[in-house]
Amino acid sequence: MALEPIPSAPILSTREDAQAPKKKKIKTTKVVNGVDTEVEIEVDDVPTVAWPERSKLRVLNHDIPRVDGPDKVSGAARYTHDVRLPGMVYAQILVSPLPRAKVVKLDVEAARKVKGVVHVLVIQGESTGWLGDPVAAVAAETLEAAQDGLRALAPKFEALPWSVDHETATKSGAPAVTKNGNLGKPETDGDETKARAALQASPTRVKATYQVPIQHHACLETHGVVVDYRGGTEATVYCSTQYTHGFAAEAAEVLGLPASSVTGINEHMGGGFGSKFGMDKQGQVACQIAKELKRPVHLMLGRREEFLMSGNRSGGIQTIEAGCEADGKFTGFLVQAFKHGGLGRGSLAALPYCYSAAEHYRSVQSVRMHLDANRAMRAPGSPQASFPMESIVDELAYAAGIDLVAIRKRNLPRDASWQRQLDRAAREIGWADHPHKTKPGPALGTECIGIGFGVSAWGGGGADECEVEVRIERDGSVVTACGSQDLGTGTRTYMAAITAEEFGLPVAAVAARLGNSRLGNSVASGGSVTTASLAPAVKDAAAKARVAFATHLAAVLGLPGDGFRFEPEGILHDGAKAPTAMSWKKACGTLPAEGLRANGRWVESLASRGVNCTQAARVAVDPGTGRVLVLHMVCVQEVGLPLNRLALRSQIQGGMIQALGYAISEGRVIDPVLGIQLNPNFEDYKVPHALEIPRMTAIIDDEDTRQGVIGVGEPPVIPGAGAIANAVHNACGARVRELPITPDKVLQALGKVV
Amino acid sequence: MADGPDRNPGGEEAADLSRRRFLRGAGGVAAGGVIGPALIGASGCAAQPATQPAPAVPKGPEELAGEIEIELAINGRPSKLTVEPRTTLLDALRTRLEPALTGTKSVCDRGNCGACTVLVDGEPRYSCLQLASDLRGSAITTIEGLGTPAQLSVLQQEFVAHDGSMCGFCTPGFVVAITACLKRDPKASEADIRGACAGNLCRCGTQPQIFEAALAAGRRIAEGK
Ligand code: FES
Ligand code: FES
Repeated sequence: MALEPIPSAPILSTREDAQAPKKKKIKTTKVVNGVDTEVEIEVDDVPTVAWPERSKLRVLNHDIPRVDGPDKVSGAARYTHDVRLPGMVYAQILVSPLPRAKVVKLDVEAARKVKGVVHVLVIQGESTGWLGDPVAAVAAETLEAAQDGLRALAPKFEALPWSVDHETATKSGAPAVTKNGNLGKPETDGDETKARAALQASPTRVKATYQVPIQHHACLETHGVVVDYRGGTEATVYCSTQYTHGFAAEAAEVLGLPASSVTGINEHMGGGFGSKFGMDKQGQVACQIAKELKRPVHLMLGRREEFLMSGNRSGGIQTIEAGCEADGKFTGFLVQAFKHGGLGRGSLAALPYCYSAAEHYRSVQSVRMHLDANRAMRAPGSPQASFPMESIVDELAYAAGIDLVAIRKRNLPRDASWQRQLDRAAREIGWADHPHKTKPGPALGTECIGIGFGVSAWGGGGADECEVEVRIERDGSVVTACGSQDLGTGTRTYMAAITAEEFGLPVAAVAARLGNSRLGNSVASGGSVTTASLAPAVKDAAAKARVAFATHLAAVLGLPGDGFRFEPEGILHDGAKAPTAMSWKKACGTLPAEGLRANGRWVESLASRGVNCTQAARVAVDPGTGRVLVLHMVCVQEVGLPLNRLALRSQIQGGMIQALGYAISEGRVIDPVLGIQLNPNFEDYKVPHALEIPRMTAIIDDEDTRQGVIGVGEPPVIPGAGAIANAVHNACGARVRELPITPDKVLQALGKVV
Repeated sequence: MADGPDRNPGGEEAADLSRRRFLRGAGGVAAGGVIGPALIGASGCAAQPATQPAPAVPKGPEELAGEIEIELAINGRPSKLTVEPRTTLLDALRTRLEPALTGTKSVCDRGNCGACTVLVDGEPRYSCLQLASDLRGSAITTIEGLGTPAQLSVLQQEFVAHDGSMCGFCTPGFVVAITACLKRDPKASEADIRGACAGNLCRCGTQPQIFEAALAAGRRIAEGK
C-alpha cells in the first residue's frame, strides 16, 4: 500500500499552495474544571461545504451502478474466504455439540498423527458452557486433512444439565448460566398504577402474548480470517469484518505485535448484518496458530459452526395488555417482556414502539440460556418490538371496529412523516379497494387475500470518525480513500460518486479505495452510521481538493481562483474572455509530480439523523393448508439526501426480504431434551428463496427534503414481519402470535388443529 | 435430483441424460465402495499410497485411493491437479487448483445454497456435490469462464446495471444458474428464471434485481444485441 500516512488534521497541499489554510476564530464551549466555559478557538477558515441542490446533482441522487459490480458478477472480487497464500494452512474448529458438557476425551495425539495435520490446539479441554462453545482447533495442509484431524480427536462429551428453553431456564433450581441465576432483574419503565387505571377505564381492551424466535444473521460468507504471519515483525490479517481497523488492532494483540505493524485487509465481505465486529474466538485461534507455526492460517467457520457460535438476533416472549378509546386513541399499555439472548442479555426496543399511549408500564427481563450470546443484528431489538406492537394495534382496531390505517394515523404524531407514508403505502398496496378494512375476511376458499401495515424509525446519524483522502494525480487519475468497509451497502460506490460529482467527472474516472487499515480511520459499520459518518468526510475532502485545484490553476493560468467550474465538458472559468473548457487531463498535467491531495473530516451539516419507514404487505393464505404466500410488499422509506438511488432501493428491498424470512420461515429450533440445534444448516433454517420473493415496491420518500445524508441499513428490516402477520390475520382471521408464521400455526389459529 | 438446480421437466432427452448420469453415477458408487478405506487412510490408520495418475476418463468402476493426479477441462483449458477421491469439485477449484479459482463460493457445502454452481457440460451443477475425479472428461465452466470484469457477458452486464449484487457472495452462483437458463431459452419468463435459481440463496435480498437483470439479458440475447 503506497499511500502516505494521513495526517489527522484536515490539510490541503499542492506544491505552490503549501502554506497553511487561513484561520478564523470561533466561540465554543469547553469544560474547564467541570464547568462549561466559553472559549475562543482558531479553526481553518474554509467555506462551509454543502450538498448541491437536488435538482443540480448530476451523479448523486441518481441510479449509480456499483463500481465493484463487474468484479462481483465475474467472480473476480476477492473475499477473505478466497485468500490463498504460499505456505498457507487451513484450520477448522471443533465446537461443543451440547449446551453444557464435560470433555472426557480428546485424542490430541491421534489428531497430530493425521497426515497433513500440522497443529492441534486445545481451546478448552475441561468443560463447555454453551452449545457451540469452541473446544479445539486443527490446522493442516489441506481442508480435508484439517477435517480428518477434527474427526481423529474423537471427542467424548458427558452431558451436564442445561437450560436452553424458557420454561427450563425460568424454573427454580434450573441449571444456571450466571451466578445470579438465569432470570435478570426486571427493568421497568412508566407508572404501573396509572397504566392499569387507564386500561380499566378503556372501552376497548385486548391482552395477548407474542413470541419471536432467535433469528440467525446467516451471512453467506461465514465468520473468519486469514492471518498472514510468517514470523518477524509484521502481519497482515484478511478479515471478513464490519470494522477493519478494530479487527487489525485485536489481531495485533494476540500476535504480540504493535498495532502499527498489523494491516487489516477487507476488500469485499459476504455479509455481516451486525454479527461481524470483533475477531471472536476463531480469530484469536487463527492468530495463535499462525504465531506458533509462523505460517499463514486460513480459518473460516463451517456452516454448522456459523449457526452455533456466531451470534444471533435474540428471541423473546411479551405479554401485552392494551386499550383504546372509541376513536382508537391508545389509553394504556402494560408490557411484560422476556428476552432470549442465550448467554447475552438480549435486545428489545421499548413498547409502544413508535406509537404513543397516554400511560404505559413495562417490565423487561433477560432469560439466560446455554446458547451463544445474541449480537447486534440489523436494527437490534426493533423487529422484536415491532411485530407484537403492530399486531396489537390491529387487534385493538378490530376490537374497536376502526380502519387499520386510520388507527395508526390516530396514534402516530400528527406531524410525523408516517402520516403521509401510510397514505402512500395504502395506495400502493391497494387498500382503498380492499374489502376487509375493519374485519378480517372469512377463512373460505383456497386463497384469502389480506393486507397489513407496519411502521419503524431509526436514528442513524454520523460521527466525526472518518478520515478521507482525495488524491489527484498528474495523469488525471483520482482516488478517494478511507479504511472503511463495504458490506454490500455500496460504500465504495458513493465514495467514488461524491468525488466525481465535485469534479464533473464520470464515476468511472474516480477510484475508491477502502478495506485497508492503513488508510484513514473509519467508523465500525453498524447501526446505519457509516454513510452519515463517511459521506460527509468524502464530500469535505473532495471540496477541499477542488478549492486547492482551483487555487493551483489560478496561479498557473493567472486567473482569479474563485471563478473555476468543474464540468463534464471540462474546466471552465467564469471570468475568462472566451471560455473554452480545459480538459481534465490537461489541467491535471499542470500539477506537480506528487499531484494534489486533500483530507476531509466529518462536517455535521452534511449529515442528518432520524428516518421513518412505513411498510404494507399483501398476502394470500390458503385456509385449508395454512400456507402463506406473500404477494406484494411496499416500503416507503425516508433517506435524507439520497446518494445512490439504485443501491438504496436494493438495500430497502433487502431489508424487506430479511423481514419476510423472519415472518414466515426463519427461527432457530433447539431440542431442549437432546440439547442440539435441529436446524444449523440452510435446508432446515430457511431463508427466503426465489419462489417466495413477492412483488416488491421500494419507494424512496422524496418528501423528505433534508440536505443531509443518512444510512438506512436498519429501518426497512423492522416493520415487515408485523405487516405480514397482520395481513395473514386480515386475510382469514388467523391471528398468529408466534413467529415464524408456519402453516401449522395458521391452522392452529383457525382452530383446525389443536 | 439433488445435484443441481436443473428443474427441467422430463422428456426424451432428459430421460436419456439422467440415464447416462445414472450410469456414471453407478461408477461413482462403485468407486465409493473403495473410498471408505482411502478415507480412513487419510486419517492415519492405513498406509498412504503415493500420488498416482488416474486414467483420464474412467471406463466403468475403478479404484481410487490416496492422492491422485487428474486432469480436468476447466473453462476450456486442460488443468492438472492433485486431489483425493473424496475431493469435491468445489474444493478442487478453490483449494487444489493453481492458481485457485475462487469465484465459485463455498457457503453450505451440502447442496443447500447454490453459491457453488458451475456448468458441467453446459448443465448447472452444485460443485459441492460433485467429486472432482468423477468429472474427468467433462467440460467444466466456472464463473470465471463466463466473463471478466473488463469483458462481461450480457447477463453479467445486466447484473451490474440492475444492481444484482450487494455483498456479492451469492452472485457467481446466480449468474451461472441463470446463464444456463437463458442458454436453454433466452425468452425465459420470470417464472422460468425464478425456477432456475430457486436453489440459490441470497441473504442480502437481491433477488428482485436479479430477476430484472435476467429478463433484460434474455431480451438482449434474443434480439442478438
Ligand atoms: S456450497 Fe454447494 S450448494 Fe451450497
Ligand atoms: S448479495 Fe449478499 S448474499 Fe446475495
